[in-house]
Amino acid sequence: MKHTFSRLLLAAALLGPVGAHFAQAADVVELRQPNASKVVVKLQFRNGSSADPVGKEGLTFLTSQLVTEGGTKAMTAAQLKDFLYPMATTYYATTDKEVTTFTFEFHKDFTDKFYPVLQGLILTPSFTQQDFDRLKSNQLNYVEQVIRASSDEDYSKFALEDQLFRGTRFQHMTRGTAAGVRSLTLDDVKKHYAAAFGKDNLTIGIAGNFPASFAKKLKDDLEKLPKSTAKPVVPTVAAPKGIHVEIISKTDALGSAVYAGFPIQTTRASDDFAALMVANSFLGEHRKSYGRLYDKIRTTRSMNYGDYSYIEWYENGGQNMLPVPGVPRHANYASLWLRPVQIAEGLRKQYPTELGGLTVGHAPFALRLAVREMDNLVKNGMSKEDFEITRTFLRSYVKLYGTTPSKQLGFLLDSKFYGRKDYLKELDGQFAKLTLDDVNKAIKKHWQTQNMYVTIVTDDSEAQPLADVLKQNTPSPMSYAKVVSEGLPKEVVAEDAQVANYKLNVTEVKVIDTKDTFK
Amino acid sequence: MKHSVQTWLLAAGLLAAPLAQAQKKAAPAATTPAATSTAAPAFPYPIQQKQLANGMNVVTVPFDSPGLASVFLVVRAGSRDEVEPGHTGFAHFFEHVMFRGTDKYSKEQYDQVLKSVGASANANTSLDRTVYHMTGNATMLEKMLEVEADRFQHLKYAEHDFKAEAGAVKGEYTKNSASLYTQLNEKVADAAFDKHTYEHTTMGFFKDVVDMPNQYQYSLQFFDRFYRPEYTTLLVVGDVKTEQVNQLADKYFSMWKRGSYQPAITQEPEQTAPRYVHIQNANFPPLVSLSYRGPAFNDQSKDLPALDILTTMLFSDNSPLYQKLVVKEQKVRFVGGSPNYTRDPYLTSIRASVVKAADMAYVKDEITKALEDLKTTPVDAKRLADTKSALKYSFLMGLDSPDQIANGLAQYIWLTGNPQSLNNFYALYDQVTPADIQAAAKKYFVPEHLTVGTIGPNPTGGVQ
Repeated sequence: MKHTFSRLLLAAALLGPVGAHFAQAADVVELRQPNASKVVVKLQFRNGSSADPVGKEGLTFLTSQLVTEGGTKAMTAAQLKDFLYPMATTYYATTDKEVTTFTFEFHKDFTDKFYPVLQGLILTPSFTQQDFDRLKSNQLNYVEQVIRASSDEDYSKFALEDQLFRGTRFQHMTRGTAAGVRSLTLDDVKKHYAAAFGKDNLTIGIAGNFPASFAKKLKDDLEKLPKSTAKPVVPTVAAPKGIHVEIISKTDALGSAVYAGFPIQTTRASDDFAALMVANSFLGEHRKSYGRLYDKIRTTRSMNYGDYSYIEWYENGGQNMLPVPGVPRHANYASLWLRPVQIAEGLRKQYPTELGGLTVGHAPFALRLAVREMDNLVKNGMSKEDFEITRTFLRSYVKLYGTTPSKQLGFLLDSKFYGRKDYLKELDGQFAKLTLDDVNKAIKKHWQTQNMYVTIVTDDSEAQPLADVLKQNTPSPMSYAKVVSEGLPKEVVAEDAQVANYKLNVTEVKVIDTKDTFK
Repeated sequence: MKHSVQTWLLAAGLLAAPLAQAQKKAAPAATTPAATSTAAPAFPYPIQQKQLANGMNVVTVPFDSPGLASVFLVVRAGSRDEVEPGHTGFAHFFEHVMFRGTDKYSKEQYDQVLKSVGASANANTSLDRTVYHMTGNATMLEKMLEVEADRFQHLKYAEHDFKAEAGAVKGEYTKNSASLYTQLNEKVADAAFDKHTYEHTTMGFFKDVVDMPNQYQYSLQFFDRFYRPEYTTLLVVGDVKTEQVNQLADKYFSMWKRGSYQPAITQEPEQTAPRYVHIQNANFPPLVSLSYRGPAFNDQSKDLPALDILTTMLFSDNSPLYQKLVVKEQKVRFVGGSPNYTRDPYLTSIRASVVKAADMAYVKDEITKALEDLKTTPVDAKRLADTKSALKYSFLMGLDSPDQIANGLAQYIWLTGNPQSLNNFYALYDQVTPADIQAAAKKYFVPEHLTVGTIGPNPTGGVQ
């Protein structure tokens, strides 16, 4: 029964705006923890960057930042900062594609003192020109400069989404596009706040050590919010025909950062998802040395720092070891993350006598190996033994997702988003019931390797030679230094030969200048 | 207050290399009158300690986290201990090698155990230490200790595996180096130190990273030197009992043999003139960083608490400097700074992300002026009390989970070898007076002890 119900929810979500089922009043999630020293309040609005008006990409993000950065009707921003300073309260806003979440954390000693501030920020935020100018400038700086020059890993990840969701409201980064952010005005912010942050698209979450009266007051006060008119727009995305590769060429990149992905039609709302979690964990659990990809690309061949796979958005994977809540989505995709591999120039410099003539670095080999591993899993499924140990791992591991009150509350809010009561708790029951057959069926149903998008951020010296190899599907033998190749086991050498000649179904390859991204 | 733009800037831009990998900084109790007093300690949980006969310290903190336990092994060896030329970055490299297996548990078997424990396990290295951590199913504590004890005592890796791991470390360098902040951190450390091993970041000099495949013999020596009980503390936090931890520690670690090596670390001579480094890049937000020589960590001296309070006060978003540069003039996207907690004297770094490159000199002067003011004008008593309160509550609010608690405590273990240093150190905060702040400003913020780092569009930083 549940299965059917979840599918209905999913179908509804994929077909149109997700606001159709909302009640008029805010939903509430409470997690009372009498031993805790603090209180966490999360206010999650169903808007997100996909609710940005066309041409105003980045507006939801900027609006939410301005709420937390400004003052209230009762206190200016400066007075408020002075007032809160000794309490060390923490509050911030995060905007993803479909939700914006305000998180407030404060010590229980200050519940009464802090509450008027919380209430004022949400109900009567002061949107000043001064704060607006500053935050807009920072946001523009991020989309124009910082994202291109701070982390090639994040760059390739956002660029993959740009490709995957092209033409939809999921395409732009949550911080927006350069043109979108440039066009924003303070008036846009004020209007968007009234339109996109309403009591009818709000879920209230409260965790920690708080009295019942606090929860009641919060609920009653937030009833004063207007009804929302802006909705997130959730796309239905099809996989491309063949593998489409975009290579972003920039100066002075030391490596090639690779992200590949294709849409999948399942989310945490579906029981299928738990089955796919097992397959995904086996292939490439995030930041773990157990995954197939990690074992073959990093441990055995020493090609880079790590290689992982995903079946949903993973926030800030370079910093987070465990998934964080607050980024739930209905439009989903599977992806492969290969952290930067060496480019030809770097290998030539390191091993001039052995690799002095190299023209292409490790990227095509790494990509072929990763896709081939996924393909093997699609064709052959998991073994009984691998299934059992991976399931055992996950049954314990998912408990680590919610080790703090804030994370527990966040996952409860995400549960609501997906139409579940308590996702983390329910998962264990789902894992317990799973069979190997369920997992192998889910793999076949949701994964394939013929049609996907690939984004590679690399050095300008590497971009064209890499494009040529991928376009022409010419063999890409692994270029080992002698120190490594001398000791390789025979089976690795044999597998290398197969990987080097593995045909990727590449149908399109483009080289793009870094200046032309996220415009 | 944490706002997401600031959080990002903080992570990317403010912190120098060691802090970027280090724990969230803890802070003081506001009401503890003295280090030796009987007042309630800052750390709200009892710290249980036992030393094994071989010198290994065993620390247990029972914490209400049903079914979960964090196991940390803190090794007091980091890039500071890389005393021979050509081996920079080796402590970090060795951290990778530690995952390569033993006779009893090959790498694959070790991974299978971690899977069976359902653990999140990893390690990280910084200037003064390497930390191995595992958080997982508390009922599997014995298994966790068994596999950790096995590799700490019986690590065995083939030369080929060693060489292969070097590629992963070069990949990590490649990943990090995409950030100009990382590149600037490298340059600042190299310029600020000539003799002390703090002259290189934990990743090491690139030429040494490239040469790592050739250092197999040295790696055996490195293991023999530092992976010894007297360098190591076992720290367990979570749903465990102290007797159980001590008993298991005895069972699995008591046969580990003590070593004898002590690195001879050359102390840095006094700096006599300011130093300057610059990265030219027109496509990145301009940055000014001021790194002053700071004190070594010491749980009996008020210097570091004074510097911590001082920088918190100076750069908090309600401070006059922040309000002027960031909010009103909007010449700066972010300004911040803090001392580093290190075993030997290191740097107190201040950084400002500047909107227009033409304002870099102005911003540097404004920061310097604010530091000079602190030398002559005593800070307001209420502001000082508020800052102590802010630090206290920020500390308490960060103790939510076993791994966070273990992280916080591990810092004091690697700094002094004794987790109680945390309570000793925070007891000092309440003794800090306006005069102490003035004294710290005078002692540490002197131009001849400064290294200026800049990122900007021109061939030089232009802030001399």
